[in-house]
Amino acid sequence: MSHLSNDLPSDSPHFSSEEIAVSVRHLDYYYGQGDLRKQVLYDINLELSKGQIVIMTGPSGSGKTTLLTLIGALRFLQEGSLNVLGQELVGLSKSELVEVRRNIGFIFQAHNLFDSLTASQNVEMAVEVLQDWGNKRQRAVEMLAQVGLAERVDYKPKALSGGQKQRVAIARALVNQPSLILADEPTAALDKQSGRDVVTLMQTLAKEQGCTILMVTHDNRILDVADRIVNLVDGHLESDQNFTAFSQTHDPKALV
Amino acid sequence: MKMRTPLAWFNLTHKRQRLLTALAGVAFAVVLMFIFKGFENALYDSQVQLLKALNGDIIIVNRIKTSMFIPEKFARRRLYQAEAFEGVDAAYPLYTTTADWKNPDTKKIRPLRVLAFNLSDPVLPLPEILAKRSALQMPRTAMVDSKSRSEVGSLAIGTVTEVAKQEVRLVGTFPLGTDFTSGNGNVVMSDQNFVRYFSNLGPDDDERNLNTVDIGLLKLAPGANASALIQTLTQRLPIDILIYSKEDFINKELAYWKENTNIGFVFSLLTVMSFFVGVIIVYQILYTDVAEHWAEYATLKAMGYSNFFLLTVVIQQAVFMGLLGFLPGFLISFGLYRVTADATGLLMQMTTLRALNTLVATVIMCLISGAIAVRKVQSTDPAEVFGT
Repeated sequence: MSHLSNDLPSDSPHFSSEEIAVSVRHLDYYYGQGDLRKQVLYDINLELSKGQIVIMTGPSGSGKTTLLTLIGALRFLQEGSLNVLGQELVGLSKSELVEVRRNIGFIFQAHNLFDSLTASQNVEMAVEVLQDWGNKRQRAVEMLAQVGLAERVDYKPKALSGGQKQRVAIARALVNQPSLILADEPTAALDKQSGRDVVTLMQTLAKEQGCTILMVTHDNRILDVADRIVNLVDGHLESDQNFTAFSQTHDPKALV
Repeated sequence: MKMRTPLAWFNLTHKRQRLLTALAGVAFAVVLMFIFKGFENALYDSQVQLLKALNGDIIIVNRIKTSMFIPEKFARRRLYQAEAFEGVDAAYPLYTTTADWKNPDTKKIRPLRVLAFNLSDPVLPLPEILAKRSALQMPRTAMVDSKSRSEVGSLAIGTVTEVAKQEVRLVGTFPLGTDFTSGNGNVVMSDQNFVRYFSNLGPDDDERNLNTVDIGLLKLAPGANASALIQTLTQRLPIDILIYSKEDFINKELAYWKENTNIGFVFSLLTVMSFFVGVIIVYQILYTDVAEHWAEYATLKAMGYSNFFLLTVVIQQAVFMGLLGFLPGFLISFGLYRVTADATGLLMQMTTLRALNTLVATVIMCLISGAIAVRKVQSTDPAEVFGT
């Protein structure tokens, strides 16, 4: 398969620049210094349109998580251009990066909820980062109701199941209505049914709020929620397809 | 509902068991600081408790009596000379000496300090002494300090024993307390009895009479200017005496003990060590807590919280620990002060200022621990939460 640079496959819809949430151009990334410097991302070119759900797959160590954290303004960029929600990240200071993060919702493999806080308080912490004090409780409760936890708002994480905790984490990521959601293996710690529920929920909420989702996953059971599937191998963007094309090219029967 | 979620408070109080351990740790450091500081203060406070109880505005002593420890006397006529000055209402002589006291129970000999004065002079106006003035006028009677060390023996009224190898009858007790110069305690008697006991001693002993005074007290007339009077007296009276205000004399005595003993150094060192023991204890607790929550803290950073916010969370947690731990530490120390005072006769005083000082030290202790522990949070890289 040839390297795909910026030219998208013919079955991908084309968007004008106002509808682009994330634009990555000629991005290289290295870990380490001096002789130990090792390149992990090679000339990445990727555009995520608004409202798209994009799943990023690829073997372990292919640089998926690195790319995700770069887009999430969690790392300093070295080379190339990375435009997130209309803001160029290359050359931003640490505090400017912190500002960018406030418009992004993060969902992790682990729920990372504070044990000491109730579901509502965990979600309220996200509302507070935007200095919105007045109706933070109300917004948290509404968001928890949307993820189906209306009865559990004042429960602490210890009293919630794994799927419920992950749904609290999703509520926390979505409560500020971010334009971009970055999720890293959100279903890895969940059983089949809970994992399915969680991604369906993300899909529904994303469509309602019109936000873009970039999800790293190894979980083949959830690939069908994606509008697009990009495949990263050894730091190179290997393929960029919609689900139908992906499932055909990756079908063992078709490969025979 | 306009408040920030008090994350620090919830993190601290979430695990009851850990909270109790944390508070016990802080309280332990607080108790150590209180006890060592208490001993230091007690040793200093004890040195001046007699001086504080003396009824005089101005104190006159022999020029070479640089501390109460030095048994130098001055001529009583200096007191009469001073009394003649304008603004001086009265002059009282106080005679002191060290005398052997026989324990009425074990018959063992212990040194005590004798305080003697004219009973019509209010030299040591403790209510217990004032009440027994007529009894003290009887020959060969005395009162003993009820805070004397237990080696002095039983102090019941009517007990007959010996002072300076001569019979003495106890007519009562008064509370004062021991110091470095008092030996095992204090005895109060009339100046007449003082002469009876100490004017006809053997050739090896220092015989006493009422012509030489150990400490002279001047009472000033209302409205008299003490510092001006001290200056005048110092200029006009012979130079064999020194004249101090009571406050200066107390400070001079304290300075003597501070400069000439290692009390301050030893106990300050112990207090500082307790402080750092506390820093280490609190740091351990905070670090464990932060390390356990690093993924959550990193998530907060990813959500857009600044390092400064996380710093305030850890620092708040440290301050809460300090304040909450101080309270049990203070109460335990208060009890220990009383136990220690009863056991040793030392003057263990818990003053508001000292309690506040220790409170401030406790909070600073926790702040230092928090400042070290917070580096763990600050170094947390939110990018690392991904892929774990």
